[in-house]
Amino acid sequence: MLFSAHNLRYHIEDCYSSFCSFLQRRAKFYLRQLAHDSMEVDEVVDHIIEQLTRLGLIGARDNEPPTLLEQLTDAQFLAFLNRSIKNKAIDRLRKKRLQISPAADLESYGEVEEEKDPFEDKVETAWSKPPFATPEEAALEAAKNTLLFVLLKECIRLLGNAPHQLLALEQEFEELGVEELVQFMHKEFDAQLTNVEPDHMSQHKDHAHKKLRICLQGSSNNLRVLVALRLSQYAQRVTKTGEISVSIRQLMKDTQGKQDLSDQEVKRALEYLVSRGLLNWQGEEIVRFSSAQAKRIARYYEKDDEQ
Amino acid sequence: MAEKNGFDNIQLAQWLQQVLATPPGQVQTQIDSLRDEGELAGNYHPQFYTQLPNFAMALLKNEPYVILRYAPLIYHLIGCRTCHTAYLEIYDAMKAAIQPDIPAIEVEEDEQMHSMVNVPVRMVELLCELLIDQAGALLRQGRHEHTDNDVRARALLQQAIYISLHIKQNNMRQHALRNLVEVASLADTTPDPIEQNPAAHSYASLVGSGNGSRNARAWRGVHTLERPDSQQVIYLQSGRLSGAITQHEDTLELHLVDLDKELRGRYITISVLLGTLLEPVRWLGGNPRAIRSQSPVAADGSLTTSLGKTELHLGKAEDRYLLETLFKKLDVRPAD
Repeated sequence: MLFSAHNLRYHIEDCYSSFCSFLQRRAKFYLRQLAHDSMEVDEVVDHIIEQLTRLGLIGARDNEPPTLLEQLTDAQFLAFLNRSIKNKAIDRLRKKRLQISPAADLESYGEVEEEKDPFEDKVETAWSKPPFATPEEAALEAAKNTLLFVLLKECIRLLGNAPHQLLALEQEFEELGVEELVQFMHKEFDAQLTNVEPDHMSQHKDHAHKKLRICLQGSSNNLRVLVALRLSQYAQRVTKTGEISVSIRQLMKDTQGKQDLSDQEVKRALEYLVSRGLLNWQGEEIVRFSSAQAKRIARYYEKDDEQ
Repeated sequence: MAEKNGFDNIQLAQWLQQVLATPPGQVQTQIDSLRDEGELAGNYHPQFYTQLPNFAMALLKNEPYVILRYAPLIYHLIGCRTCHTAYLEIYDAMKAAIQPDIPAIEVEEDEQMHSMVNVPVRMVELLCELLIDQAGALLRQGRHEHTDNDVRARALLQQAIYISLHIKQNNMRQHALRNLVEVASLADTTPDPIEQNPAAHSYASLVGSGNGSRNARAWRGVHTLERPDSQQVIYLQSGRLSGAITQHEDTLELHLVDLDKELRGRYITISVLLGTLLEPVRWLGGNPRAIRSQSPVAADGSLTTSLGKTELHLGKAEDRYLLETLFKKLDVRPAD
């Protein structure tokens, strides 16, 4: 059986042979000077198989949710694999400090594909290079991106019942000179921070960091902000009094009409917004709110510049 | 208030990296310590790793609110080098895949073979290891996040076992499954209540037991039975103690000898760790984790008892491989 993303998921024993052969042939092609070093070929091939297993594709059957890899055409999936092999082979060549020459060398292997410079591939995106190209760049984006910054503040709010941890964070922000967060802490937690004894701050700081890490990497916080954002975007005025409505079904879809949130995710987010006093929703399929509430919801996800 | 300045952003970014860095204690586990240095290296996080193709595609297509939708993943990539490296690789490969003029890549005739028989043993071994590794990662994730990934992990372990049957070389099959018991133990968070007591003896099957001297010694211990064809026996060992599993028609029988004085005259409970993973055996009493011996341990420390019935045949290679794997860990403890 010929391999495809679908077959790798459901019929791995039937297509593993052809899959391995393909990977080995392409690995040898891209490894060039190292093509006869079986260890190097194995390195490349193993890496691809490992990656596809980790992605929940190989042998996963129905136990893992499908990924977009399975929506690629067979030709696109081959191109995906080919590029992955090539990148790993280049990585091996670099590690061996062998010269990596562009397409001309590759052609000498009698292949007709990949004649152009591999680095000339162009896909129009908002970024000219991969977004978040390094962890440092990703961190910088999180620090300056409005929505990601809102999420950080939301996670800090979850420490509201732990004044020592709040104090530890406030001290950190002061030391770092991150004025906006210092002011945010003063405004939001003035009462909690009064009369807190600064004992064992290092321990409290560690606890605070752990909670923030879990919160920022958890999936509920961003969904709340996303639902709040959609409430404003999709809102329609329905009465003369200015009452606004949005259906849960609408909230489950992105601006292009593609469903990307489940009914439960939307409802959980709405329940949270109710608990924050931003909505009066009680489980109805249509969410109704006033203009005043709409303004408060908008402030929830917008960066607070009024401080 | 004015916008944060660049200095603020850099300070905050550095702080975020510190906060989000994967804590060192979280990455090392029982399984990691068993892995060879450098082999299949790298800590990764399945819950984030599996999102990478969809995230990359959403970025490439400039989907609305991609940053907000994938915010937890972005925060994770700040602190996890392994997942970040994978993100870069997958982003680049996805980018190549969705170009309008992708070059045609032929799959050659010899790449259309159908059978695992044609796959080099090393590649089959690798696949088994990776499936077990993935199961371990899912179970560790489940433990860490208090989510139940057992069904997914069990499916991967079952698949690894069945794929390993294609490996005819005993030592390579053993190597492919070397982490199986440890990973299966990770799934074993709610053992049978009787297993709360420490096992008196923990046996492991001696795979590939032919007529070697080690197995001959093992069988000499099980002296009460006529010695069958070695292919009809699975030998067990627990330190200096030996045992065996034989088959009579469809019944699997356990034979143990030289059991401790404390166990003599008492019934014992037998636990087959992987018994719940594979289901080719109808276990005596229905629970492979708590099989009560049919008789007490004899005064000379020997015991022969039925374990259950099966359609598998020890004399048939693939069935035998499966049963050998099944008995990779067999514990005994007093029943009372």
